[in-house]
Amino acid sequence: MKRSSKLGLAVVTAATISLVAAGCAASTTGSGTGTKASPVTVTFWGSYGNGGNSTQQDALNKTLIPAFEKANPGITIKYTDIAYDSLLQKLTTSAAGGQLPDLVRADLGWVPQFAANGVLVPLSGSMSDYKTLAAKDYAGNVSTNLYKGKYYGLPLDTNTRVLITDQAALAKAGVTAPPATFADLQTMATKLKGTGVSLFADSGLGAWNVSPWIWSGGGDLTNPDETKATGFLNSATNVQTIQMLVDWYKAGLIPNLITGNKGATGTSDGLPKTKYATIFDGPWMSGIWTGQYPKFQPTYSPIPAGSGGSISVVGGEDIVLTASSTHQAAAEKFIRFTQTSAFQIAMAKTGQMTVEPSLADQQAQLAPYYKVYSDQLKTAKSRIASPNQSKIDAVLTTTLTPAFLGKTTVQAALDSAASQIDALLAGN
Amino acid sequence: MTALAPRASRRRRSAGWPAATTLRYAALIVGAIVMVTPFLYMLSTSFQSQAYVLTIPPQFIPNPATTGNYTAAIGTENFLLYFVNSLIVAVISTAGSVLLSSMMAYSFARFAFRGKEAIFRLLLAGLTIPAVMLLIPQFILARNLHLLDSLGGLIFFYIAGSLSLNTFLMRGFFASIPGELDQAMQVDGANSWTRYWRLAIPLAKPAIAVATIFTFLNSWDEYPIALTMINNSDNATLPLAIANFQGQHATQWGLVFAASLIAVIPVLIVFLVFQRYFVQGLTSGAVKG
Amino acid sequence: MALTSTAGRATETSSVARPGRVSSPRRRRRFTLTPYLFLLPGVVIFVVAIIWPAVSAFQMSLYHWNVFNAQLSQWSGIDNYLTAFKDPHFWQSLANSAIYMVATVIPQMVIGLFIALLLKKKSPVQPLFRVLFYLPVVTSWVVVSLLFKFLFDDSGLINFTLHDFLHLMNSDVSWLADRWSALVVICLLGIWKGIGWSMMIYLAALQGVPESLEEAAEMDGANRWQRFRAVTIPAINPATVFISVMLVIGGLNVFTSVQLITGGGPVGQTDVVLTYMYTQAFNFSDFGYASTLAVILAVFVFILAMLQLRILRTRDGEELA
Repeated sequence: MKRSSKLGLAVVTAATISLVAAGCAASTTGSGTGTKASPVTVTFWGSYGNGGNSTQQDALNKTLIPAFEKANPGITIKYTDIAYDSLLQKLTTSAAGGQLPDLVRADLGWVPQFAANGVLVPLSGSMSDYKTLAAKDYAGNVSTNLYKGKYYGLPLDTNTRVLITDQAALAKAGVTAPPATFADLQTMATKLKGTGVSLFADSGLGAWNVSPWIWSGGGDLTNPDETKATGFLNSATNVQTIQMLVDWYKAGLIPNLITGNKGATGTSDGLPKTKYATIFDGPWMSGIWTGQYPKFQPTYSPIPAGSGGSISVVGGEDIVLTASSTHQAAAEKFIRFTQTSAFQIAMAKTGQMTVEPSLADQQAQLAPYYKVYSDQLKTAKSRIASPNQSKIDAVLTTTLTPAFLGKTTVQAALDSAASQIDALLAGN
Repeated sequence: MTALAPRASRRRRSAGWPAATTLRYAALIVGAIVMVTPFLYMLSTSFQSQAYVLTIPPQFIPNPATTGNYTAAIGTENFLLYFVNSLIVAVISTAGSVLLSSMMAYSFARFAFRGKEAIFRLLLAGLTIPAVMLLIPQFILARNLHLLDSLGGLIFFYIAGSLSLNTFLMRGFFASIPGELDQAMQVDGANSWTRYWRLAIPLAKPAIAVATIFTFLNSWDEYPIALTMINNSDNATLPLAIANFQGQHATQWGLVFAASLIAVIPVLIVFLVFQRYFVQGLTSGAVKG
Repeated sequence: MALTSTAGRATETSSVARPGRVSSPRRRRRFTLTPYLFLLPGVVIFVVAIIWPAVSAFQMSLYHWNVFNAQLSQWSGIDNYLTAFKDPHFWQSLANSAIYMVATVIPQMVIGLFIALLLKKKSPVQPLFRVLFYLPVVTSWVVVSLLFKFLFDDSGLINFTLHDFLHLMNSDVSWLADRWSALVVICLLGIWKGIGWSMMIYLAALQGVPESLEEAAEMDGANRWQRFRAVTIPAINPATVFISVMLVIGGLNVFTSVQLITGGGPVGQTDVVLTYMYTQAFNFSDFGYASTLAVILAVFVFILAMLQLRILRTRDGEELA
């Protein structure tokens, strides 16, 4: 009696253990450069999946990777697509477990943080041709890979923000051409008052959002060495620029989307619906509108110029090689491949802008609006290259929002932001 | 009240009032409308093309209606494979978890032993730890056990993650099974395993049905562990595929909702199959057992 | 078979089942392995996959943890805990979690029980109603969160109904732009999604209510409400204990809905402990501090759960384990 009872339990226990054992996955091993004799598999993670639109992934998986593999027998590239919102979480966890892939398409804001923690290989040291490759790319993009004198990645694709306007809204303001200067915006502002159309809309107050205003207004975020924000971020020029936005916000000309209302109409819907007259946004918008608002004809033009000119912010992704990679040589071959015109143009066709200015004309043939973006990129600047970039964004948002809501002055907000950012920069 | 089973109306004479019945149905219908309306909105959106999503006034009857979102979702590469993977993981996790936790629940409900209170508290503590915090240690553990990037690894963590809740749930039900039944069986010479398997399990069918429904649902929907542990798309589950429909710059809501509605079907089937045990419950379960 | 006849059951259940009674005389005689064997497989998996990782997480909270290179982590003792106690944002996020818990637990239980009572009896349409009430439960948190965000959008269905259709409001409300109205949305979602869950457990529990007792009470002339209080409530007490403990735990651990609906915004106003923790962990890579927040929450929740078990146990004079 007792025996059979224990037998029943023993069966369950044994089944449990075999279940654990059954889950064992063979780990891949291998090293070296990858030859026909000893093939290697290079793993590559990114977020090319674009809200259910697989064009970018298809270009990579069906055209580019097969072409690379054909030219480099013995090397297989295994690309894994990860939802953008989850990529950082997956990268962090995998880094903690020492299970990163060989290559990552990383948001350019993440590179300094990963580099600071020793997760990445400095390409400027390991690739003898790094300088030649980097020289072909926009300097603003290359600089996002710099951490403590070494470069940890190469630009893969880029983007920036330009002014996008809705013709119908311009007509309501009684103008025909998009505003080219801050003064033009002011003129439009007076005319749009009371029409229900917002002058400008944006979805936040981080560095990506406010730095085009600050730079175009003639101000700066930090000193040139990026070691100090006080005296730069809270300058009189910047107070004036931000005050201009705050005044528009208070006049109802900028919707509360900017102060964090997640329920407000998004910029991609507000512009075609003539709720918003102007937005700053990237080249991906065109693809969104083709699907949702086929009849909408947006106008692309440079960021309105203030006393500092028309200066936008650099965005995009870099390709980085992880320190845990056991296939460095093969992975570097693929990195070189991403810098070829074949790769860059094929991806440009799917909406990923090339990082090489020399290909800008060829790219503009694909879609005319690309020219506005590539022209803007010539002067665009990158955000502060710091491992604390996400904290800097949080500081800007939390200090500036109360200024918009009228709970504090712009001067006080910027003073506070500057001193907090000083601390973050000193902590590097 | 004719709708009620004859047995019920015999017992509860007062339940036969038409007014009470009317009220009861009125309450149920109002409640059901509140519960279902958001769901209908989702259903309607899944048949709309992107251009018509979030328009004013909202469209309840999609016009023009399109099945494009469904064909696009199903047409996604490997969608069927993800579906099958999810099914394998959810079925095995559920079976394993319900078996192991019913054993634990039986032990807690039927025996007095040293350390009982401590072990129970440990299980309860497991429920209070935020799952997000366990991600990194669990990832490292999975690496050391060679469980990364495999369905077996997901099953292992899904079973572990559902044990506390199921044990806690079933313990109460086992405890309310009359101890005299147990004693009678024991006198007849039945050992503890037989009493668990032949008596407790059949009598606790409603609780086991609830545990099955919940565990299946949780394993079917689980995202964070699958996200961190699965790299190879051959091992991906449905929630990973649905998450990929949300883009950095834009999300095609119709597509997300269509895929989610497809994903709801197996969970509803499991619910429909097991919910009848709530009615049959003790009476018929006991007769069969 | 004879054992399970209704008559047999009625006599058994008239006394409160006291588990442990069966084997306790045996325990006096000799030590038995049997209960441990029943526990073993489950406990082994649980300790390996949950408790061990939890201990590691606790260990992280005592360090300035370097997630990328654990060897570089610096011992900090209780520094992270001191930081948390001085961090106003942590307190605000804890308050938000607590508000969510308080606002959602009772409605879920009361409405869930009410619907379970309505759906208890057999009838051809009951399965249909059960499915309808269960629909929110089967839909994933991600989807229903997006759905609610969608419904409470400035140009969403709720504003349309209240403003343009019923004219109850003069203008559209920016539900998600303010801490309190955003919390209302998040709590409504929690209640809406959770009712079906409590309903299910109550439905299962109501199967165990001895009919003979109800009949006896009815004979004694007890009205519906008296029968409900005297017979039903005590009989489903284990389910009530289970549901309330689980909902309190779940309420304080609210995460996905907040993350997807407001992201903790505007400016962290609607952050709950777990969204704040997530930001610290995955945006700022500060796992030491994130673990600290998780540990404080877990301890707080555990104490609450133990208190609940104790209070609910003594009040009804009934053993739970």
